[in-house]
Amino acid sequence: MKMSKTGLAVIFAAYVLVPLLLGSNSYVMSLIVAAMIIGGIALAWALLGNLGGMVSFGHSAFFGVGAYVSAILTMKAGVPVLAAMLLGGVGAVVASLAMLPVLRLRGPYFALAILAYAHIFKILATEWTSVTGGSAGLASVPRFPTLMGFDLSSKTGSYLIVLSLLLVFIAAYRVIRSSHYGIALRAMHDSEDATRVVGVNSTLLKALMLFVSAFMTGVIGAFNVHYINFLEPDYAFSGLWVTLPIVAAIFGGYRTILGPLVGAVTVYLVDQLIFKNLIPSGHQLILGALLVAMIIFSPGGLMPLLRKGTRRKHAAA
Amino acid sequence: MSELILQALYSGVLQGGSYALIALGLALVFGTMKVINLAHGELVLLAAYMAYTVESRLGLSPMFAIPVALVLVCITAVLVYFLVSLIRKDRELNSLILTYGIGIILTNAVLLIWSADVRSTSSSWMQDALVFGPFYSMRSEVLFFVVSVALMGGLWWWLSKSWYGRAVRAVSSNRDAAKLMGINPRSTEIVSFIVAGILASFAGVAIFSYGVIQPAFGHVLTVKAFIITVLAGIGSIPGVMVGALLLGIAEALTVTLASSALQELVGMSLFLLVLFVMPNGLFGAAGRRG
Repeated sequence: MKMSKTGLAVIFAAYVLVPLLLGSNSYVMSLIVAAMIIGGIALAWALLGNLGGMVSFGHSAFFGVGAYVSAILTMKAGVPVLAAMLLGGVGAVVASLAMLPVLRLRGPYFALAILAYAHIFKILATEWTSVTGGSAGLASVPRFPTLMGFDLSSKTGSYLIVLSLLLVFIAAYRVIRSSHYGIALRAMHDSEDATRVVGVNSTLLKALMLFVSAFMTGVIGAFNVHYINFLEPDYAFSGLWVTLPIVAAIFGGYRTILGPLVGAVTVYLVDQLIFKNLIPSGHQLILGALLVAMIIFSPGGLMPLLRKGTRRKHAAA
Repeated sequence: MSELILQALYSGVLQGGSYALIALGLALVFGTMKVINLAHGELVLLAAYMAYTVESRLGLSPMFAIPVALVLVCITAVLVYFLVSLIRKDRELNSLILTYGIGIILTNAVLLIWSADVRSTSSSWMQDALVFGPFYSMRSEVLFFVVSVALMGGLWWWLSKSWYGRAVRAVSSNRDAAKLMGINPRSTEIVSFIVAGILASFAGVAIFSYGVIQPAFGHVLTVKAFIITVLAGIGSIPGVMVGALLLGIAEALTVTLASSALQELVGMSLFLLVLFVMPNGLFGAAGRRG
C-alpha cells in the first residue's frame, strides 16, 4: 500500500505533536477524543454507504451493543479491557447477524429496518435488568490499563488508543476498497442486477460490508464506555450516535475515506464550540440544516468540492 | 381477563384511527414520489403542538387548532416537497437523508419553541369518560376515531372519484403512462403532500387530545407509520387501514398483558416478522426485493 509523504507527516503530527502541544489541556483533548469517536462511527457508516450502497439509521445499535458487551465482559467475566474492546466489536457483528434477512430489501426498507433493530436493542438493554443494570445503567466500568508505565486511561492515553483504532480502520478500508471485493462492490453500485448476472454474490458482499461496519462501530462504542466509565441505555443507543456521524460523513463526503473523519472533526468542534453556545438546547437544528443543505447543493460532500476547487486553481496556474 | 382483553382491543381500534391517518399520508407520498418522508411524524407533531398552543394560550378546545394546524402543516409539507424535488441524483437514498435532516430541524425547532416538557390536554371535556357497555374510553378517543373514519371515507371518495385523486393513483401505479395521459406529475406530487399534511394535521390534534406529546415523539410516529405501510404492503390503501388497526391493537394488548415499556418492541417485532415472512406485506403487490 502506498503512503504519501503528507500522510506520514499527518500521522507523525497526530501521534507526537498533538499530545505534546495539547496534551496538558484536558478540555481540548476531551473535545478531540469525542470528535474522533464520532469520526470512527462516521467512517464505519460511510463504508457501509459507499461500498455496500446502504443508508443506515441504526448504527447506534452497533455502538450500544459494542459498549454493553465490552462493559459486561470486563465487569462480570474479568476480561482485560483491551481484549474486551475488540470483543465488543465481535458482539456488534453478532448483533448484525440478526440483520442479515433485511439485506435483501432495498433502500428505505433496509434503512428503517436497521432503525427498528436499534430500538429493539435499546429496549432489551433497558428491560434485561439482571445483565445490563436496566435503565439505571452500569457505573464504574473498568478504565484502560497502565501499560509499561504509561497510563492509557488518561486523556492523552485514550487519544492515542482511538487514534490507533482510526488508523487501523482507514488501512482496512483502503485494503477492502482496492481488493477484488471492492471492485465488485463498486460495480454493484452501478448496477446490482448486472453484477449479479456476472456471478457476484451481491448479498454476501453486502453482508461482509455490514459486518465490517458493525465491527468498527462496536469497537468504537466499547472504546467510549471504557473512556467514560459509565453506561446507560439512553446514552448507549442515543440517536446522537446516528445523527452526528451521518452529518459528518455527508459533510465530509461519504464516498471518500478521509472525508467522514475530516467532517467529524469539523462538524463536532464547530457544533460544540459555536452552535452549542448560541442555542444551548436544540443546537442540532443547525446540524439538520447542514445535512439538508449538503444533500441539495453537494451530495458528494465538501472534500470533492474542495478538490475540484484546488484542481481548477492548479489548472489556471 | 377476557374483559381486559376486550378493553385492550377496543382501545387499540380507537388508537388505530390516528395511526391510519398518519400512515396514509406517508403511503400517499411514497406512492407518487417513491420517497419515504422521514419528517412525516414531525408534521404530525407540529399539529399537536399547535393544539397545545391554542389550548394553553387562548384557552380554547384543541379542536379550534385544526384550521391553524392545517395551514401550518400543509405549508411545511409543501416546503418538504420543494426540498425533495431539488435533489438531483440518487433520489431514493438521498431523499431519506434529506428528510431525516428535515426531521432533525423540525424536532429541534419544536424543542426550542415549546421546550422538552411532556404536554397533554387539560380540557376536562376531552378527558371525560365515555362508556359503551363493557368498553371504556375518553371522549376525545371516540370523537377522533369518528373523525378519522370520516376522513378516510373522504379520502376514499377523493381517490376514486375526483380528478386529482385519480391522478394521484395513476401517477403511483405508472408514472410514465400517467404523463402520457396528460397528468402533470409535479402538481400531483404537491397534491399528495398537501393531502398528507391535511391527514397529519387531524392526527396531530387527535394525539394531543387523548395522549401526551414531546419533541422526540415525531420520530416515533414516523417509524410507526412506516411499520404500518410495511404491514400493509406498498400501494394498498385498505391495507394501511388494517395495518394501523393491527398495530394499535398489538400495542394495546402488550400494554395490558405485559408492560408499557414493551409497547414499542411489539411494533418493531411485528414489522421485522412481516419483512421476513411476507416481504410484500399483508396486502401488497410484489416488487420490494432488490
